[in-house]
Amino acid sequence: MKRSSRIFDLIIGVGLIGVAGFAMLYFLVNERFEWIPEQVLELARDPEILKRPAAKKCSECHKAIYEAWKDSRHSISWTSENFIEASENHTKEKCLPCHIPKSVRGEKPSPRLNLRDEGIYCVSCHFIDNKMQGPYDLLAPPHPTFRNPDYVRSKFCGSCHQKTFKEWKATNVEETCQDCHMPRKKGRLTQKAGFNLLHKKRWVGDHRFLHGEIKEKDVVMEAGWEENYFIISLKNQTIPHFVPTADNGDPRLYLYIKFFNEAGEEVDKAKEIIAPQQETALPYNKKIQYRYRLFDKVFKAEVELKYQPAWSKEKTTVRAETVRR
Amino acid sequence: MSFLRIILIAAAFIFIGILPVHAKDMIVKEPPKSLSKYYPPESKQSKWIQQMHKMSTHFGGVFVNLKEKDFENVDIHADKLVEEYKKTSEMVPEWEDYFDIKAAEAFAAAAKTHDIAQAGKASGKLGKTCGKCHAENEVSVWAKFHWPSFHKIKVTDPISEKEIEFDDYMGSISASFKGVTVNFGEGQYDRAAKALKIFKSRYMELKSTCSKCHATQDVKRFYVGQDADTAFAGLSQELDSEKPNPEKFWKNIGLLGKTGCKHCHLVHRTNSFIQEMWEK
Ligand code: HEC
Ligand code: HEC
Ligand code: HEC
Ligand code: HEC
Ligand code: HEC
Ligand code: HEC
Ligand code: HEC
Ligand code: HEC
Repeated sequence: MKRSSRIFDLIIGVGLIGVAGFAMLYFLVNERFEWIPEQVLELARDPEILKRPAAKKCSECHKAIYEAWKDSRHSISWTSENFIEASENHTKEKCLPCHIPKSVRGEKPSPRLNLRDEGIYCVSCHFIDNKMQGPYDLLAPPHPTFRNPDYVRSKFCGSCHQKTFKEWKATNVEETCQDCHMPRKKGRLTQKAGFNLLHKKRWVGDHRFLHGEIKEKDVVMEAGWEENYFIISLKNQTIPHFVPTADNGDPRLYLYIKFFNEAGEEVDKAKEIIAPQQETALPYNKKIQYRYRLFDKVFKAEVELKYQPAWSKEKTTVRAETVRR
Repeated sequence: MSFLRIILIAAAFIFIGILPVHAKDMIVKEPPKSLSKYYPPESKQSKWIQQMHKMSTHFGGVFVNLKEKDFENVDIHADKLVEEYKKTSEMVPEWEDYFDIKAAEAFAAAAKTHDIAQAGKASGKLGKTCGKCHAENEVSVWAKFHWPSFHKIKVTDPISEKEIEFDDYMGSISASFKGVTVNFGEGQYDRAAKALKIFKSRYMELKSTCSKCHATQDVKRFYVGQDADTAFAGLSQELDSEKPNPEKFWKNIGLLGKTGCKHCHLVHRTNSFIQEMWEK
């Protein structure tokens, strides 16, 4: 046999053993991890992970989730300028629990003393009883994990979003907060080169905790005339909590109406503030009507709906319409 | 002193933590600068209160254990009380004179005789040092470190959509309140109706301020809740009718002024006055 072909066989052989080894390891890690003895796992453990580290530590492996979280409002719940002002430079005791939670377990959390600038971070939400709890039963060599079904339930978010949770519960809608605000995509939980391929793809929830958008189908608007009245109604048709919804934030919808005569001159105007703090937000699936008495001859009305989130003073237009008589 | 009375006093130490305060001693002066170190934002927790709880626990601990005849723990609490009392006396130099270390040591010695009557007697002198400081400083400390400031709250005026200071907002809400009452008094019902719309939207905007200090929604049952809604509905009804009924109108105005403005002032303005005094 030629020498070169022997080397070729050797490479193939080693390669095959490698592939077989990887396949075995993959099988072991993903399907039969309970076979791996505790002592072997100890070797792979990184004790730093269990010392309530900053989110950056988790990004060594969970890079994609970390980047998403960085983009979320949760990561700036303590450093947000608006919050600093509202909490009088962090001195209002009542304002700390949900903005710097120690750990989230289905009820109002208690505030923590360390790493406050991290806001609501990985450890707050996942580190309980010395394990990383999450939605899966899986093997993470670097740290212990524990499957806890609460992670895919609204109650988890309701620890802090207490008012919104109550609103959601009253609607009896099945979709959870996570379904809409953490939409899942198939992907890997970790990105650490090499190691990540050992773990199979799973559903990963979007840790940007998306705000959600009000679309035309969500909030239905109807307008019309009745003798000397202009009537407009809004109905939150699809969003299973009030719109807007809030615990301590103050998001708002502003409804502006301008009335014009035949010559196109503005003769009157009206405004509604639709805000959870004023108990005027739009409940789920219920039509809310506003009536305006007209004192002049009105030919058309211009209606504009604007939204202002809890964390900003900027308003964006959600809808604009002209209603002719 | 009867046994029962001693136990009652001890219970007051433990459960209520209140030592006798005499109204005549009460003054409201700004707490010393060096106390700020023990409160947010300079400290992450209210360290001063933690220190108070330690002293209070050991003070009460002496009596509880005397009653239970657990003398080993009586001695431990007595020593700890002296230790914590000394430590507290060093925390705020401006307050050093409130402390009487000898009284604390005398109390510890009396406690260690394990005679409840002697301990009770010696506790009086020590307890007075606590009470004097509380009478003179507790209210100021509450106003400074526990009451958020209305002067740092801004309100978005619903008419102009501009953010203004809270007290300026109060000025504009009273002006619009008067717009309603003065016009009504003059029989200008259409103007009163327009003014009522503005006043109502300003009044409802106040609901957005509660969550800047309160983390529970149920406080909104007061001042800005059902009573206010009913009063506003009643006022609109009168002003929409052909011939408004003055009696009903003034009754609702009175309701708003009292269960709305006045009651909120009674709860919230006292501390705002104190804070304002120090700000100037
Ligand atoms: C029960 C949990 C909880 C408590 C306690 C709490 N918050 Fe919040 N806060 C939230 C949640 C949830 C949001 C997200 C928006 C919303 O639902 O209101 C939020 C959002 C905010 C926002 C808007 C976001 C931003 O950064 O600008 C501000 C301001 C705010 N809170 C201030 C406060 C203040 C002031 C207090 C104390 C009076 C407080 N919060 C206490 C849960 C809480
Ligand atoms: C050295 C790499 C590494 C670091 C650092 C790391 N993890 Fe993990 N983690 C993993 C691996 C590997 C998995 C399993 C991935 C898989 O099976 O797809 C995992 C899984 C998880 C899970 C899923 C648990 C479940 O049962 O659903 C959570 C939650 C988690 N990690 C949180 C964290 C947090 C929070 C930190 C930082 C404090 C962190 N991890 C740091 C490697 C790491
Ligand atoms: C520890 C308390 C806590 C938990 C648990 C929590 N949140 Fe939040 N959430 C907050 C706070 C506080 C804010 C406001 C942060 C800020 O803007 O300063 C917030 C903001 C948000 C926002 C952005 C709101 C906006 O106005 O843009 C969304 C969306 C959100 N959370 C969804 C969720 C979902 C979904 C869950 C459950 C998976 C969840 N949150 C769990 C406290 C919490
Ligand atoms: C506000 C709470 C919250 C914070 C903060 C948070 N997570 Fe999660 N995490 C969740 C929830 C809820 C799920 C379950 C999502 C779902 O429905 O699949 C989850 C799921 C996971 C999973 C399993 C994969 C998945 O999406 O189901 C991993 C891994 C994870 N988180 C890591 C992290 C890391 C790392 C950080 C910090 C960078 C972090 N989480 C921050 C609430 C949080
Ligand atoms: C069917 C999808 C859906 C579900 C389920 C859902 N939301 Fe939303 N949510 C939205 C949409 C769409 C928006 C944007 C409209 C708005 O601003 O209210 C939104 C907005 C929000 C906001 C931003 C506040 C605001 O209104 O400005 C928060 C906070 C929030 N949701 C929390 C939650 C929580 C907590 C749950 C679970 C109890 C939940 N949501 C369930 C769709 C959903
Ligand atoms: C030099 C002044 C001073 C002395 C001496 C003093 N205290 Fe206090 N104490 C305070 C102040 C100020 C407060 C209010 C603290 C606050 O509410 O932040 C307070 C509050 C307390 C409280 C209530 C804590 C709470 O949770 O509201 C207790 C209990 C207490 N003190 C016990 C004692 C006892 C027992 C002694 C004597 C052994 C004592 N104090 C001596 C200044 C003093
Ligand atoms: C600047 C901060 C601040 C604002 C704004 C504020 N409060 Fe308060 N309020 C307090 C404090 C501090 C207390 C004392 C008890 C406490 O800490 O809750 C209090 C006490 C109360 C109480 C007595 C019962 C209780 O909860 O202690 C009621 C009722 C109340 N407030 C209602 C309201 C309402 C309604 C609003 C809005 C219209 C409002 N407050 C706005 C600071 C504030
Ligand atoms: C949140 C409870 C609250 C309600 C409701 C309320 N006020 Fe006030 N008001 C206050 C506080 C607190 C101050 C002191 C503000 C300060 O010190 O800056 C004040 C101050 C005032 C002042 C003095 C303003 C100044 O320049 O110092 C007037 C006038 C006033 N309020 C009128 C009213 C009227 C009229 C109403 C009812 C229509 C009303 N308030 C309702 C809390 C309230």
